[in-house]
Amino acid sequence: MTRKPFLLQNPSVLVVLGLLAAFTLAVTLLSQAYGTGLIPTSTVKILGKTLCLALAAVAMDLVWGYVGILSLGQMAFFALGGYMIGQWLMYARTETIVAASLANNPIPPTPLELQQAVANQIFGVVGSADLPLVWGLAHSLTAQLILVVAVPGLLALLFGWLAFRSRVNGVYLSILTQAMTLALALWLFQNDSGFRGNNGLSGLQNIPGLDAVGQATLSVWFLWASAAALGLGYLLAAWLVSGKFGSVIRAIRDDETRVRFLGYPVEGFKLVVFVLAAMITAIAGALYYPQAGIINPAELAPIASIYLAVWVAIGGRGRLYGAVIGAVVVSLLSSWFTGGRAPDLALPGYVVKWVDWWQVALGLSFVLVTLFAPKGISGLFDWLAGILPPRRHGRDLGPDLGALQEQEAKA
Amino acid sequence: MRSLLEVDGISVSFDGFRAINNLSFNIGEAELRAVIGPNGAGKTTFMDIVTGKTRPDEGRVLWGEPSKSLLKMNEAQIARAGVGRKFQRPTVFEDQTVAANLTMALKANRNPFAVLGWRPSRGSAVRVAELAAEVGLADQLDRKSGELSHGQKQWLEIGMLLAQEPRLLLVDEPAAGMTLAEREQTTTLLRRLAETRAVVVVEHDMDFVRRLDCKVTVLHQGSVLAEGSLDHVTRNPDVIEVYLGR
Repeated sequence: MTRKPFLLQNPSVLVVLGLLAAFTLAVTLLSQAYGTGLIPTSTVKILGKTLCLALAAVAMDLVWGYVGILSLGQMAFFALGGYMIGQWLMYARTETIVAASLANNPIPPTPLELQQAVANQIFGVVGSADLPLVWGLAHSLTAQLILVVAVPGLLALLFGWLAFRSRVNGVYLSILTQAMTLALALWLFQNDSGFRGNNGLSGLQNIPGLDAVGQATLSVWFLWASAAALGLGYLLAAWLVSGKFGSVIRAIRDDETRVRFLGYPVEGFKLVVFVLAAMITAIAGALYYPQAGIINPAELAPIASIYLAVWVAIGGRGRLYGAVIGAVVVSLLSSWFTGGRAPDLALPGYVVKWVDWWQVALGLSFVLVTLFAPKGISGLFDWLAGILPPRRHGRDLGPDLGALQEQEAKA
Repeated sequence: MRSLLEVDGISVSFDGFRAINNLSFNIGEAELRAVIGPNGAGKTTFMDIVTGKTRPDEGRVLWGEPSKSLLKMNEAQIARAGVGRKFQRPTVFEDQTVAANLTMALKANRNPFAVLGWRPSRGSAVRVAELAAEVGLADQLDRKSGELSHGQKQWLEIGMLLAQEPRLLLVDEPAAGMTLAEREQTTTLLRRLAETRAVVVVEHDMDFVRRLDCKVTVLHQGSVLAEGSLDHVTRNPDVIEVYLGR
């Protein structure tokens, strides 16, 4: 067996990375900060956020398309990543503002006074003036960056360990993951959970220490960071699913019992992928929310995670590029159709307003894809490449006389 | 002869139905054994217990030397200890190539992180090719296993079991759905395998069992009714009454 370099074995990875680089370069050259200014800053932000969503979709595809765990709670990890980075963004910025205003006092403020003033600023809105325990590390960027991956990772580890070891599978597992994200959202909605209740964290687009840079430039920086994260995440995912590990996880998806009898600790494999995917999703979230500017518990609503599954299904699960295509195409279409700029469709007797009808169209296309094109958009690429499922038109399945016919084998 | 697997007085019931009733069974190293019995005699449940899929209500299952209890281990641990199982329906991973199926089964560290670091080597490629040749699939390595015939899938599964290098092979109805030629090849394969390891074949096809030419254990209502050569057990009046006489 000859061993070709990893990228040559997987030409699709090169194509995706090349397209991503070309896209990033094009947006940069058309941006207001570094180029002609054809693309407004708000659009650069939308594109940057879309790349983050695509990264979350890649992670979703790892979990669902490759291991077969239909997790409907992935956006909980996404939002947790956002909350963790948001804590530092909000704290550090408030600290700068408060310090500037207190600097005029005749007596300079003690660190404790400063902290209390910051807490008062941040939590006044929920009627509290104390810094909650969970904000203990908010002053440190390093600590919060570690928490971005550590908190969702630990949650996924705990949840996955409990669920997988009791062999919860299929729809029951999906319901459990929905319950997880809903419970987390409800907890965050409470004012006394320490994350400002339904106000969430805001002003995240202002990066402390970079006030002089301006949003136009920042938006391009975040686009670069998001593109880099997507590229690296894609590369990692592609490496993960390529070798024997990929073989085993796809086998778990197709027949988990049989894999157990081969001696593989199925739960361990599921846990590794689930935790890793949660961490990737959290990184995507940590890059998304500074571009969105605000995060609140509504971001963890169960429907958000279902959307993620819909994107992956429409793009084509079990294909990493399918996840990227699905997330990019569907989320951009969604924001166009629901943004009120899509022209109304005038039917005789009824005018279809896309703002109202887009959800219906999306739901319908999900149903149609599931029924008629289970491979989604990426099925088109398979068709172009000539990869087809074995179809033998009812002939014998084997070389010897009397081997089963295709119809018999299916029965 | 020292026994490799020692099943001692196991019983299990499902919703009051006693599927296995005080069953004892021994098999030594490098022994071929056929287990026969009418439907519902507990053949598959017996395999489920040995491989960890079902827990018995009482009794013990000891393995290897020094003997360890298999009852405290899960399916994957039992498989790693050296018990391989072939299911009645061929279960191979249809979406993957014959080579990938065999590679996955190769004896190696099964820890997720070890698997992540595993890279194909010259040795592994040669081993996969050898295994494929042994089960007659040498020229099918790059085909998706979903495209294989029913009989070829059965062989691929046997090849995967060999790749695991088990010390005991449990084979559930290997001849089901096979053509006559495929059956003969399967018999030869099983007999050859039993030269180096223990093989237990569950089967209801008497002609197939006769061709295996080995010691036979007859199960009935969850316990052993008779044991010995096929001719010996077929002369046993109890066996004739419950099984052969129908």
